[in-house]
Amino acid sequence: MSETWLIIGGWVTAGLTIFLFSFLYKDNPFFKVAEHLYLGAGMGWLFQVSVANVWIPKIWEPVSKGELLVIIPSILGLSLLTQFIPRISWISRYGFTFIMGYGSGLAIPAGLSTDFLSQVGGTIKPFSQLASMSPLAIFNSLLVAGGVICVLFYFFFSVEHKGHLKKVSNVGIYFLMVYFGAAFGNTVMARFSLLYGRFDDIYTYSGAKYFYASQLILLAMVVYFIAHWLMNKGKSGSPEEAAAD
Amino acid sequence: MFKEQLQKFFKIDRRWIFLLLAIVLFAPIIKPIGLPNKTIAEATQRVYDNIDKLPAGSFVLFSLDYDPSTRPELHPMATALLRHAFSKNLRVGVVTYIAGSTGLIEDIFAKVPKEYNKVDGVDYVIFPYMPNILATITQMSSDLYGIYSKDRNGADIRTMPVLKGVKSYKDMSFIVCVTGTAILDYWVAYVGDKYSVPVAGGVTAISQPGYGPYLQTNQLKGLIGGMKGAAEYESLIKQPGKGTSGIDALNLAHLLVLALILISNLILLYVKYF
Repeated sequence: MSETWLIIGGWVTAGLTIFLFSFLYKDNPFFKVAEHLYLGAGMGWLFQVSVANVWIPKIWEPVSKGELLVIIPSILGLSLLTQFIPRISWISRYGFTFIMGYGSGLAIPAGLSTDFLSQVGGTIKPFSQLASMSPLAIFNSLLVAGGVICVLFYFFFSVEHKGHLKKVSNVGIYFLMVYFGAAFGNTVMARFSLLYGRFDDIYTYSGAKYFYASQLILLAMVVYFIAHWLMNKGKSGSPEEAAAD
Repeated sequence: MFKEQLQKFFKIDRRWIFLLLAIVLFAPIIKPIGLPNKTIAEATQRVYDNIDKLPAGSFVLFSLDYDPSTRPELHPMATALLRHAFSKNLRVGVVTYIAGSTGLIEDIFAKVPKEYNKVDGVDYVIFPYMPNILATITQMSSDLYGIYSKDRNGADIRTMPVLKGVKSYKDMSFIVCVTGTAILDYWVAYVGDKYSVPVAGGVTAISQPGYGPYLQTNQLKGLIGGMKGAAEYESLIKQPGKGTSGIDALNLAHLLVLALILISNLILLYVKYF
């Protein structure tokens, strides 16, 4: 890739990032442009990858070589598009029937084995090895098993939660809270990581190599907001702004 | 009067908090502080150990399924994993089931193989993007070449030295899926459990707690979680990268959040009880 294209890429990356972040201050046309570009570019990328990596090698080339069997799944796939034409939308049922049957056949046994039997086994198995386990490992196994039972009781609605049952289900709530806390903490960390990634890019494109793309775009945005504020000074704001005030 | 002043804190324009957070995250990028990343999670260590113990020449399949939206967390992770694999002289295959991944995969392979003098087709192969992961990974269990006949550049893969003796999962030594989606679940359920192939993962911090049960039952042979996990892996292979440099920013941002929570609660307690 030539140096010029790298610089143009840097300006586009820094610009779109700053345009999107500008929404944190207030809605503006630059944000709208970036938002629509994101959707359009994403769809365009997906389309070209699908054509180049799926349509051509999986359908066009085999049919060109006389391998006509691929026409059957292709027709089933195309039948889904009849959903958009109400008069013949019934044809899409053939495609959906295949997807449902194929998907269920794959998902049900695998789901039962991986997410049910293996998990039940994983909770019980340590109790067959207690003699060889350290005290901490035994405590850990008891905690996991106890947590599973308590949480299951919390989601068991066929008996009224009162007396001892209520206490057990209440303990289940605490286990759930611990999970939610861990999940929320990790979510915060993940969001900060993503934000860091964007800032890192903005910093990269702020160098002389990219002709100070980040600073100039940021400055332009500030000028726009000041000009917009000056031009609208005294005028009543939008309903959203009025509500915010 | 003082209480009224304190209560103003709860009505602060949230944009000030955004600005504060931006400063806290941006400052260490401009001037790194070098806060250490001293702990290595057991799950990350397990991924490292599993790859490290593989004999040279073993075939490892990487499923790199992330797009630019999760790049800051997953790209450093994938880069570190591939560096480790190449440093151990493992044969590497790369598949992807996310259309947006292809550019990011090219980005890694434009620089990492050169560091270890690895050659496309001889030491590694990048398969083209495929939709419908379930159909693809199911077919790969019996015949890899039934679903992939060419690499991402259109070259015939049957004659490639990197794939010599590799026909299905039973010829693969390890599978690592780096993803911000549920694709790791598919690898565990449809490949790891079904064909007894060791599967490990690299996921975003958001998804990380959900994979605890698979780690406990050893259905997952290890897990790298978020940018912290990426930094841990970079420490293990002794090659600091973007994950390690992000730790400063993450630590400071977490301190800010803790400070805000603490201050809010202290003010609330004071206003309510004093």
